[in-house]
Amino acid sequence: MEPIDVATVGGRAIPDLPDLPRMHRERFARLQQQLEAQGVDGLVLLGSSSVAYATGAAAPAQDGDRAALFRTVAVVVKGDSAPHLYTLFADGVPAELPEDHLHGPLFPDLDDGIDTFAAALAEHFASGSRVGVDDQTHAMLRGLPRFEWMDASDVVGAAKLTKTPDEIACIRNAQRLNELAMTDTRAILRPGVRQIDLSAVFLRRVFELGASANGIDPIWQVMAPTRELGPWTLHGDLAYPTVTTDRFLREGDVIWVDSGITWEGYASDYGRTWTTGAGPNAKQQEHFRRWRTVVDAALDVLQPGVSALELGKAAIDANDGVRPWIEHFYLAHGVGTESAEMPLIGTDLGEQFDERLIMQPGMLLVLEPVIWEEGYAGYRSEDIVAVTDTGWVKLSGSTYEPYGVEA
Amino acid sequence: MPIARDRGVFIGMMGLEDDARVDFARLRAERRAKVFSSMESRDLDALMLGGVGNVRYVSGARQLGRSGVLPFAPVAVVVRESRRVHLLSTWDEGVPPEIDRDDLYRMSWNPVNLAADLAKIPGLRDSRRVGTDGLTPMFAALIPQLVTKAELVDAGPVMTAARRIKTPDEILCLEVASAIAEAALSAMEDALTPGITERELLGIYHERIAGLGAPMPPSEGVCFVAPGTVSFRHLASDRRIGDGELVVLAPGALYAGYEAGLTRTRIAGDGARPAGLASRCARGMDALLGACRPGNTGADLYRVWEETGNEDPGVPLAHGLGLGAEPPLIGFGRGRDAVIEEGMVLSVQSWVTEDGIGGCLERATAAVDSSGPSVLTRYGRL
Repeated sequence: MEPIDVATVGGRAIPDLPDLPRMHRERFARLQQQLEAQGVDGLVLLGSSSVAYATGAAAPAQDGDRAALFRTVAVVVKGDSAPHLYTLFADGVPAELPEDHLHGPLFPDLDDGIDTFAAALAEHFASGSRVGVDDQTHAMLRGLPRFEWMDASDVVGAAKLTKTPDEIACIRNAQRLNELAMTDTRAILRPGVRQIDLSAVFLRRVFELGASANGIDPIWQVMAPTRELGPWTLHGDLAYPTVTTDRFLREGDVIWVDSGITWEGYASDYGRTWTTGAGPNAKQQEHFRRWRTVVDAALDVLQPGVSALELGKAAIDANDGVRPWIEHFYLAHGVGTESAEMPLIGTDLGEQFDERLIMQPGMLLVLEPVIWEEGYAGYRSEDIVAVTDTGWVKLSGSTYEPYGVEA
Repeated sequence: MPIARDRGVFIGMMGLEDDARVDFARLRAERRAKVFSSMESRDLDALMLGGVGNVRYVSGARQLGRSGVLPFAPVAVVVRESRRVHLLSTWDEGVPPEIDRDDLYRMSWNPVNLAADLAKIPGLRDSRRVGTDGLTPMFAALIPQLVTKAELVDAGPVMTAARRIKTPDEILCLEVASAIAEAALSAMEDALTPGITERELLGIYHERIAGLGAPMPPSEGVCFVAPGTVSFRHLASDRRIGDGELVVLAPGALYAGYEAGLTRTRIAGDGARPAGLASRCARGMDALLGACRPGNTGADLYRVWEETGNEDPGVPLAHGLGLGAEPPLIGFGRGRDAVIEEGMVLSVQSWVTEDGIGGCLERATAAVDSSGPSVLTRYGRL
């Protein structure tokens, strides 16, 4: 591991806090580069995380259908100097966005007023243009001009694959807030506390500390000692994550914790194992040490040029040949304006995909192997690292209480 | 089932030994029956749904709450002939008993694997007309290639027809959500003292709804300071609230996915009640609520709002509520033709401002009864 104050990504240091206007500018430049390289005339974006990426605009965190009805829309035109933003949330508009690029809301989910959307697009694109879009409502399919629509994910995914130093600083800060709130949350854990009590303490604290929004309902899953005693699954492997309820936490429960708050549009990802009541026993400590060994084995080979497949192999070898992650997940995933995005390592995209996925400076990895021993449950935590010009730096904290204070 | 004379006994979160609370099995069965009958009348053989509310409506599954909107992906599949609902869930926890383990399909990162799983759903491949609640260029290509050659049409009319009019069990869920939102408003009001920040109030809001067992909020836009010359805001700031300042408290809550919310405007610490502003806000609210009667349209809401002498508030006058926010949207010039029907539930709001004095927002959740509106959220006015 490199100390963060000497690490560089693309020759530049990672700042303690981001320069947001610079970050927005550099992200937009990446989108423009991809539009150029892929021969696409522009983008129409409707998904919360793509809009946030393209524009830097903030919107209040909202439940799915509310977020859809009142969605913000971004339009990126090839060769333009800034994105067009259509939003209801005037207080979330970045200060540097030119006035002529800021517009009132469109309601892409409604037929009523879809002509406004059509007129807006007609101003940006000539008919027959190749336009990337991330989501299409039926009102859009009926009411918008006939462009040559293509999936926006090729352009947006390529731009997002590696992060700028400012983006890395955002994720690091989001993670810091998440971890601080978790310290206060773990302090109330004792037999008789319910899962929702932990959520209550965590959410209050994380907003006091400065979180911009909450991304997911915090997870406090109690792991049954065997797969058989846990929820039934299609693949026979573990079920994770299951949804928080008013379930009581009881002496001896092994809890896999996962939470994701955002800061300035960037996700954090806290993953730890906690125990209720008594601290971890010898068996549980063994699981933790094995988890550390697996993560360290992957980190030992992590540097630019290494493939995802090689990282997966290192982790499997360190776990005596047993794949140390859940069937429906991965050894590691990226993080950015989405809580899980490329690079994904060890998914059902397959070995050939992993072989072609080569680590580059600016990629982020959330390593979340799982150690499992039938009869004794297991251990899961998440380490977040950024690939640098010469190696990697760790962005998440290095305490794993109640297992290890430093590891 | 015997009906309690005091309806208030229904408004709680705990299961009771006599099953005296929401009958979720009945709620789900009635929703499914409405969807199948609506598919029948609109001649759809199957649905592929990705919207959070639609998926919840057809499946009744308790899935992980997340904020924001994702691009379309088929998370639930409804097949008319077999009358089965299939769900993207790798495990059966949170899945109601009428959805068999055979009806589940796995979470995939590889769209080709997802398509292969969908293709195996009995009855989907041979469907003629399949409704979706969205598309992406990728799925528009993948579905005909790997899943079904069916004509892909809009599932919106089927789902809207089912969801618009609420069953008694759905209204009960909305009443429980209303009570949770009221509890959150009480907590925020108790905490509202000069020196507190919007961010801290947002924390208190989260703490209260999570502690009650409803941790995912409909929206985190739950408060803003509104003194002087103001515009409507949605994002919590770090600004300390001053003595005598007007503050908008706008909590919502979700119960079993059903959304209710209410808003009151309060004064932090000591300060004179802005009588003119408050009564203008109340008049606007009463006029809007009064217009929420069966047979009226969105145009009637616009008309009564204008008749109270108010300008376009720049926020919706009303929109539908159910499993989250839903159409119609009456505001921003839209929804004039939307017909208000008995059994709909609406979020109605009155936002008025006066330069130099401040802004006042009142919001309520109202069910449309045969005789007019029935306000589900209760709280004292400014």
